[in-house]
Amino acid sequence: MHIAEGFLPPLHAAAWTAISLPFVVAGARRVNRLMREQPQTKLLLAASGAFAFVLSALKLPSVTGSCSHATGTGLGAILFGPSVMALLGTIVLVFQALLLAHGGLTTLGANVFSMAIAGPWVAYAVFHGAQSLRAPLAVSVFLAAMLGDWATYLTTAGQLAIAFPDPASGIGGALLKFIAVYMPTQLPLAVIEGLLTVVVVNLLNQYSRDELDELAFASEAAK
Amino acid sequence: MRAIDHHAWTNRWRDRHPAEKLAPAGGLLLLSLVAPPLTTGPLILASTTLVTVRGAGVPLRTLLQVLATPAAFLLAGVPFLAVSVDFANGFSLQLSSAGLHMALETTVRALAAVSCLAFLTLTTPLADLVPLLRRVGVPAGIIELILLVYRLIFLFAERALTGRQAQAARLGYTRLDRAIYSMGLLAGNLFQRALAQARRMEVGLAARGYTGELRVLRLEQTLSWWRLTASMVLIGLIGLAGNLLACGWL
Repeated sequence: MHIAEGFLPPLHAAAWTAISLPFVVAGARRVNRLMREQPQTKLLLAASGAFAFVLSALKLPSVTGSCSHATGTGLGAILFGPSVMALLGTIVLVFQALLLAHGGLTTLGANVFSMAIAGPWVAYAVFHGAQSLRAPLAVSVFLAAMLGDWATYLTTAGQLAIAFPDPASGIGGALLKFIAVYMPTQLPLAVIEGLLTVVVVNLLNQYSRDELDELAFASEAAK
Repeated sequence: MRAIDHHAWTNRWRDRHPAEKLAPAGGLLLLSLVAPPLTTGPLILASTTLVTVRGAGVPLRTLLQVLATPAAFLLAGVPFLAVSVDFANGFSLQLSSAGLHMALETTVRALAAVSCLAFLTLTTPLADLVPLLRRVGVPAGIIELILLVYRLIFLFAERALTGRQAQAARLGYTRLDRAIYSMGLLAGNLFQRALAQARRMEVGLAARGYTGELRVLRLEQTLSWWRLTASMVLIGLIGLAGNLLACGWL
């Protein structure tokens, strides 16, 4: 759900950049402090960032025939916590814009808001909400990844609706229009990503407990 | 991804100072957003194509391939800008001239903007661009992090492709449920190997006295103020021409 370069009118592009900036700066400050205290976290975060990029470049098994990619939003939010994810997500989005021509620099703010801020925060909240209700791990992970994806998709639809209100029915009409257009691909995709994230977290939980504990610094930092 | 990075490192303008490429690309990008799109957009598209293909010597085919992805996004999304829904009396769909105009302007503006981005990425390696972030106040540690991510991406991408091929050869992607399971295993494995890689780098660097700073040798590139000024003047002229055309004076 990347908004292409130049797609948003200048005022909207600037406004979304201004909204996203504080989140990214806060994430960057936190990460920078962590890296100064423990230099090895730099390597761990770099490996995680590169992993997130490669994951997002893998084509998902698709139901509708459209070419679609994983977002990794839910997985990232569960592993690193949303504040570190804001920075890592932004780095990944910049690389996607510059290496794959997905998204763009002027629409970076809008894309960061939907994919590196709104999605991860929702996924994180859902995951911890479900865990505190004593839901099984698989259920919490599935719900977090799926609802995180839906949050991203609804945010993007909202951003497009505000930028391009319908001539007859205004922002509300445009919102319905964009939600309807992307629904056939986004709803099943989110379900697939949810299942995928469950497989990944199960695997890590089974074989990489130590590494997950090592990553706890990131979720600690988010609190 | 390979194609963009390959040309970024091998094009004719590779050795020019990154600011000489970033400033015109950024200038044109801003211009494409603020100037009247229907007249300025085509001018921008023509000039970026010209400098990328004629100037930097990137094949036209590659440029078109890079432009194809965002163009597909535009084709999929733009028609819905032109159609309007009305709930005033029941539910009706209609094409309005305002919607058509908006759709056309958005398409032209976005294509022009994408071409600026394509010019920048096809002529300038990311490893040259990222250090410029220092100038806008990004801390050195974060810049190192970004450069490390850049270097690791290609390593991991190769592993992902190999893993996927191996899985496909064992019929891992023949049904939807198998595909989801295989991809989950692939992603989980990649993550484990990424963590192992980070740990190995950590040990290796610690053995070489790593204290939190990675120093690398950089190519020395001198900034040509002449070229920078000339490109800015050209951008000004394009903006002027676009505005005059829009007012009908040319």
